[in-house]
Amino acid sequence: MTQAGKQLIVAAALALGGAACDENLSDVAGPTPNLEPTLSSIQTEIFNTTDSSGRQSCIQCHSDNGRVPAGNLVLLEGRSYAMLVGVASSQKAGATRVVAGDPENSYLIHKLEGRADIIGQRMPRTGGPFLTDGQIRIIKRWIEEGAKND
Amino acid sequence: MTDLVRRTLFALVLTALSVPSAWAQTPTPEEEDPDLEVNVSQPDFNLAALPTNLRLPKGKFAFRVTHRFSRPLGEGDFSDLLADFFGFDSGAQIGLELRYGLFRGAQVGINRTSDRTIQFFSQYDLANQQSFPVGIGIWGSIDGTNNFSDSYSPALGAVVSRELGRYGAVYAHPIWVDNTNPEPSELVDDNDSFLIGVGTRIRIRPTVYVTAEVAPRVAGYAPGDALLSFGVEKRVGGHAFALNFSNGFGTTMAQIARGGTANDDWYIGFNISRKFY
Repeated sequence: MTQAGKQLIVAAALALGGAACDENLSDVAGPTPNLEPTLSSIQTEIFNTTDSSGRQSCIQCHSDNGRVPAGNLVLLEGRSYAMLVGVASSQKAGATRVVAGDPENSYLIHKLEGRADIIGQRMPRTGGPFLTDGQIRIIKRWIEEGAKND
Repeated sequence: MTDLVRRTLFALVLTALSVPSAWAQTPTPEEEDPDLEVNVSQPDFNLAALPTNLRLPKGKFAFRVTHRFSRPLGEGDFSDLLADFFGFDSGAQIGLELRYGLFRGAQVGINRTSDRTIQFFSQYDLANQQSFPVGIGIWGSIDGTNNFSDSYSPALGAVVSRELGRYGAVYAHPIWVDNTNPEPSELVDDNDSFLIGVGTRIRIRPTVYVTAEVAPRVAGYAPGDALLSFGVEKRVGGHAFALNFSNGFGTTMAQIARGGTANDDWYIGFNISRKFY
């Protein structure tokens, strides 16, 4: 085999290595394996659905169907975006529910993580199970990417 | 691409790489192979972690053990450090590496570290100082976590060396490493790293060297601080013993790209290598 042939084989081996295998998002998403960092997915998997861990769906309380929505926040499909992104919290003065691009300053994340600065209870208010770190990480990613209505 | 397909393809390529050495090389008497001679400027295949351009003779093996003790040297006071025998009493990340000379200027190897990472690597000597101002080795590797079954991080780059007569060598390592971020790609901005390692091995006595290396990430995912190591090394025949100090435990390319822990944490470690020729 010629020198060029050897180099070609080495290059082919190296190029093959370029096809990296990534971690699976479903491994992070835990009890909601289909959860993705999009609003439609968060709506389906988090807001609308009680997951396999027993974590309660959000719309059980955050709905105005026959009731006053908790925290004056409606998370029903088609309405959640307008109630979250860039909207001031009705519970904590100066806080914004979702600051596009900035999960650390989004009050929604503070409530889901049960941070010390929240008013009222950690969400869901049932006392647990709460969202897993992975589920919250995916919601944060949706916010990091601009909290689009996607 | 499934894991099975990926591993099968990788095995096929490794096999293909091994074929030319069997059929196409003109047998060279061992005594005529200059790669068998001791290179006092590049006496070993690695600095602390980064590779050198030392050629492995065709058909020969080399083995290396790496230890990175997990006790930070700055923990507690000096009497605590002495009581722990400078960290040697603590647990360690251990690496076992075997490499083989496929054909003149080409070597392949496998390195497994005790965090269950397995790295396959190959290096090809593209140019050396006999015909070029610097030596250039092409580096390719792939790390796989959990015994090469979970997350794969391929790396591609070059090892550029300049031998300083018989007094050692200096190195630069422009290397791209993919999938360095442990999170899924959907959750991260950067999932690869481009590092430009620099290092040196200086011969201070006929068989004693000091080494230093740092691997700053100049683009992409770059958590923590750049992995930084320095050490002292003694060559004894086919063996090399190196005592080193690092701000992290990395020895595979993806581990190196993920950086050290912090500049405040330093760890003692050692490498022992053996050439079977």
